[in-house]
Amino acid sequence: MFKYTIKRVLQSLGTVLIVVSIVSLLLSLMPTDYFFTEEQLIKLTDKQKEDQLAAAGLLDSPIVQLFRFLENLILKFDLGTSRRIQAGVPVIKVIGDKFAISMRLGCIALVISLILGVPMGILQARHKDHLFDHIGAAYTIFVNAVPRLVSYSLVLVIGVKLFGLPSMYSTRHAVRSSILPIICLAMGSTASYALWMRRYMVDELTKDYIKLARIKGLSTRQIMFKHVLRNAFVPMVQNLPTSFMLTIGGSLLVERFFSIPGMGPLLTDSITRYDLNMVRGLVLLYALLGIFGLFLGDVLMTVCDPRIRLTGKGGDTR
Amino acid sequence: METKAVNTTAELEKELGMSEQELFSFVEYHAEDAERIGYSEYSYWKSVFRNFLKNKAAVVMIIVFFAIFIFSFVALWIGKYDYQHLIPDTNLCFQSPNSEYWFGTDNLGRDYWCQVWYATQTSIKLAAIVALGECLMGVTIGCIWGYVRKADRFFTELYNIFDSVPTMIYMTLIALFIGQTFWIMCASIILFHWMYMAKNVRNLVFMYRDREYNLASRCLGTNLFRILTKNILPYLISVIILRVALSIPSTIALETTLSYLGLGLDVNTPSLGILLRNSRTFFLDYPYLLIFPAVIVSLVTITFYLAGNAFSDAADPRNHV
Amino acid sequence: MKKLLAILLTVCFMLGVFAACTNDNTPANTNEPASNNNNENPGQTQTNTPVSEGLDLSVSKEPKKDWVTYLTLANEMETFNILYSQNNKELRVLTSCIDGLLSNDNRGNLVPAIAETWGTEDGGKTWTFNLRKGVQWVNMNGEPMQEVKAEDWLVGLEWVLNFYKNEAANTSMPTEMIEGAADYYAYVAGYQDLEIPADADAATKEKLTKNYEDAKAKFEAICEKYDLEPVRLTADEAKSMDLTVFKQMVGIEAPDDYTLIYHCVAELPYFATVATYNCLYPAPQALIDQLGVDGFYACTNENMWYNGCYTITHYINGNEKVLTKNPLYWDTDCTLFDTVTYKMVESGDVAFQMFQAGELDYIELTESNLRTIYNSESNEFHDYIVEARPTKYSYQLHLCWDKRDENGDPDVNWNTAIANENFRLAWYYGLDATAYLARTNFIYPQHCANYCYTMSNLVSFSDGTDYTDRVMEKLGISPNGENYARVDAAKAADYKAKAMEELTAQGVTFPVVVDYYIQGSSQTALDTANVLKQMFSDCLGDDFVTLNIKTYISSVNKEVRNPQLASFYINGWGADYADPQNYLGQETYGMDNAYYSVSYSKANNITDENLIAVYEEFTNMVNAANAIVDDMDARYEAYAEAEKYMLEHALVIPWYKNVLWQVTHVNDYSKIYAPYGIQGEKFKNWETSVDAYTTEDYAKLAEAYAAGAAK
Repeated sequence: MFKYTIKRVLQSLGTVLIVVSIVSLLLSLMPTDYFFTEEQLIKLTDKQKEDQLAAAGLLDSPIVQLFRFLENLILKFDLGTSRRIQAGVPVIKVIGDKFAISMRLGCIALVISLILGVPMGILQARHKDHLFDHIGAAYTIFVNAVPRLVSYSLVLVIGVKLFGLPSMYSTRHAVRSSILPIICLAMGSTASYALWMRRYMVDELTKDYIKLARIKGLSTRQIMFKHVLRNAFVPMVQNLPTSFMLTIGGSLLVERFFSIPGMGPLLTDSITRYDLNMVRGLVLLYALLGIFGLFLGDVLMTVCDPRIRLTGKGGDTR
Repeated sequence: METKAVNTTAELEKELGMSEQELFSFVEYHAEDAERIGYSEYSYWKSVFRNFLKNKAAVVMIIVFFAIFIFSFVALWIGKYDYQHLIPDTNLCFQSPNSEYWFGTDNLGRDYWCQVWYATQTSIKLAAIVALGECLMGVTIGCIWGYVRKADRFFTELYNIFDSVPTMIYMTLIALFIGQTFWIMCASIILFHWMYMAKNVRNLVFMYRDREYNLASRCLGTNLFRILTKNILPYLISVIILRVALSIPSTIALETTLSYLGLGLDVNTPSLGILLRNSRTFFLDYPYLLIFPAVIVSLVTITFYLAGNAFSDAADPRNHV
Repeated sequence: MKKLLAILLTVCFMLGVFAACTNDNTPANTNEPASNNNNENPGQTQTNTPVSEGLDLSVSKEPKKDWVTYLTLANEMETFNILYSQNNKELRVLTSCIDGLLSNDNRGNLVPAIAETWGTEDGGKTWTFNLRKGVQWVNMNGEPMQEVKAEDWLVGLEWVLNFYKNEAANTSMPTEMIEGAADYYAYVAGYQDLEIPADADAATKEKLTKNYEDAKAKFEAICEKYDLEPVRLTADEAKSMDLTVFKQMVGIEAPDDYTLIYHCVAELPYFATVATYNCLYPAPQALIDQLGVDGFYACTNENMWYNGCYTITHYINGNEKVLTKNPLYWDTDCTLFDTVTYKMVESGDVAFQMFQAGELDYIELTESNLRTIYNSESNEFHDYIVEARPTKYSYQLHLCWDKRDENGDPDVNWNTAIANENFRLAWYYGLDATAYLARTNFIYPQHCANYCYTMSNLVSFSDGTDYTDRVMEKLGISPNGENYARVDAAKAADYKAKAMEELTAQGVTFPVVVDYYIQGSSQTALDTANVLKQMFSDCLGDDFVTLNIKTYISSVNKEVRNPQLASFYINGWGADYADPQNYLGQETYGMDNAYYSVSYSKANNITDENLIAVYEEFTNMVNAANAIVDDMDARYEAYAEAEKYMLEHALVIPWYKNVLWQVTHVNDYSKIYAPYGIQGEKFKNWETSVDAYTTEDYAKLAEAYAAGAAK
């Protein structure tokens, strides 16, 4: 297992580098004009533009630029400075300022949705086709049926008008102003945890071993928690680390909606403003989070279900 | 070949609405009958449909959905205004639904009826094509990914690469360099979303792959294709169908988000997403602008949720007779 | 069961929406009654009486101590370095943090800031500014760092002109106006090495070589002129440049700590107005030494120094910033807020909700908001909507003479049509912009009407006549406030008939296809474009032109203007300094620095001889006007004549100006009014009210303001 872990980590790092390289090369496909702001395009002469591009190293071939970036990254752990998000500020600092906020809100929302969603799914499965199942289904349907853009607007309006909550996140009143964004964040994921939990549990309930357990005379409670839950939780567990890691990435819509100074809108902003160092830094971060999340998920899955093997030794004859 | 599941007497009673006495009675001995061989005309898909049709709510919703889809064509035909020739006239703006404008008018005084139905067509078309594409690509690749150990490495890396690069980068680059038409939109959503389906399928295949019956099947020399389609896939169908059903509303939602960022369909192709995005601005004062498209989106979603659940229950071979 | 549930759910959802809406209206009226009859409130004394005399025009209100305003997220600051910023995003904030030599008052007049007095003795070639003593640079917490001295302006200008420090930002005005500035810029920037791509053909090779030779020769000529070694500076050398070479080359000097002298390239009677612009702002050498060159370039609110009315004490990117009153601000008599808070919001809709919840002190109204409030007597803001003053931008239809299609081939049909003067005049007289103007201001659309190229209130004749009034007089346009005064249907029909006849002979197919580009994500832009499309169809006829709405993703310059895809652009120009040259100079023919004719209209690519002749005539008129420096009335008269010529040949079609509606707690007429430069949004001497101003209040304030102007 240990050997496998080391191997997998090294592989993942390789993947991260490949991802960053691909994105870097893709971005060099964009015309260099995107380097300049609209105002600069208005006011700079062609010569001035060329001078700036040369000074920023953008006239070099994409491969050279990529190697320079990788060299700085690996040797000095330097991601360069932002250009358009906060001119001249190191990328690491820009990201550092923002990711803590996204992560805090995201983690709270994740925990809340797990606490609400998983039991909801269990209860729904246990009382399948009864009142509770229908209430849960109604909630899931509602959350999925109403597009996010609309449901966030509704949460905003109701929260502000009825409960007098602030409509904008503020670091100066962090607790009060976090309530609405967290509701928005947790609303959707609660529904999806409940939905999948129920699905997996119901699938599990029709299996033969459950019938055996019933015949053996185990109580429903025992069957539910000792057998069904454990089996049904396996596919859920695999996604948990990824979800956790992705909270750091923030949510584009929610963060925009409540002006949360988090990571969510950062990537789109960086792309449209052609802040190359920011984009590379962010992609690196997202890639790391995604890949390690997946890896952790696999590990967790083997922990929960010993029948699943990652290393492929024994059993399989192919 | 499936055998009939043994139910408890109580369940049988409930299901058939008969008492125990009616259900069970002694059979007289016939020599001829005793020689008969048990034979069931079992067909998987027939059973699925039979079970599905038992779920009245889902059937009704499916009918409602098709009615909406068909009506979206009829509505444009019977409407008083033609979408292609709408005339902005700000004096007529924000008229509540009336006999002239059945769904009222928007902020530029244009008939909302034809916009809503036109958008409905676009959105349903988009979502259906995407769901189909995702399903085909995702299931095929997911099965191979999950079953063939040697391929696991390759597909995991591919997944990682696709998944790690935020979709926004692709979407921005595609919008910048290729354009923003309906088909490009379909292709790019499928291209970057098949892998979620594939991953789901892969995880399930992963779980069933090493079950004893498959080991046995392999020992008997069953080929890969047969094991996948006959031994494993039937177990996955319920999950696949649920995912497809949920992908339809999520495509509509994704399209809304992309429109919000200016990366969605081009401005001359209205979709429900675009209508929702716009009405967000006005919905406090003119709720009808939000309600019509939102109700349609909700109906579509509920249909696919109910139908998806019913179908996935029906698709589970363990529930079959 | 499930079906029932689904239906119930849908109903619940709809009810929810309705509930949300009704909740919006019910408590609204109970919130506000206290503010209705504010004038009769006995507890209030007449503080802050506006400039007018006569009690009937005065509106007295209890002033606000703190101000909370908003900006949309797209307007977040990208830099704190005022010398580097070229963008309203940052300048609107930084103008409150750093003061330059001069500022404006609420009527647009120049007033002293750090410079107490200023003047020229040789008709505008040499300008002397006498600085105030004892002005302090302070840090974020308002603690004094050092005194503001004349040398700070030298350091600032060196920074701007040094390519490696400021990346060529804000160089255009100094290099055009100050002696030796262009030379210094060219000297520091050097020239690029000759790099010929391996696959270049002979022609490219020759062109590249020639460019290289030219640049090198120019560089060497400059070095020879100032007796410098003809060696290019490396980036590090350039960054460590002190003022020695700069003083030798550039026409700026500081004889003592409180005197600053600029030497201009020619007589520039308007140069003092440039001193309100951030290209002539100061920078303390001690701070640059402390932070390093890269550190000063990337300075933040925490390490920068301030000499303006406020310091930025709290800043979270994409969320909030708080400006706190500078305790050591030199102007101790002025009115300042204790704090000013900027909230960055997702959109105007969210801002409107925040305003309703009392979280903001001011809100700009969108068309739909305005319509709703105006049409509903019971709306809580019905009596509080007030018209803002025009923004400083004058919007025009800029026609493109060399339009391309997506493959880069010329769009012959359009190019031929637009080169025809009758075709253009049919637009000029035919297009009635009223429906378009109503998008911004549906109550008084004609307040947005614009018939001149130059923005109103920029300069005026010695008798007080506004320059643009004179232009309109020459054009024979007298706005009546009822309809779009330029329109003349008979003339338009006449020109249309002529144009169709002439152009059909030239092989142009009708209707001519007109491509108009908008940003894809903006619904407002799309709605406006649809109105425009309808207007073209109504005013010009479908047999004549058809408007095609197309979209770009993020940058009009990159995606549309560079590949020359649009038939015309609707663009606004705000002045940098007070002279018609700043407007008309952008449209001249054959001049490199004529922004619009070079970059948008592509006038240099015109092949039609008649059009070239018109352009040349216009350019001569502008140049002649620019040469008059001793008599300002004669200068403006000449410019007015040139502008009239340009408009009568429809080289550009004036379109609109921005007059928005708002609900606000500030008297706009007390704010700094800056028709040019960056002083406009300084939070200084604002007259505010704890309760929002009513429509009636504002009418009085406007009247008082007008009375003050007449006096």
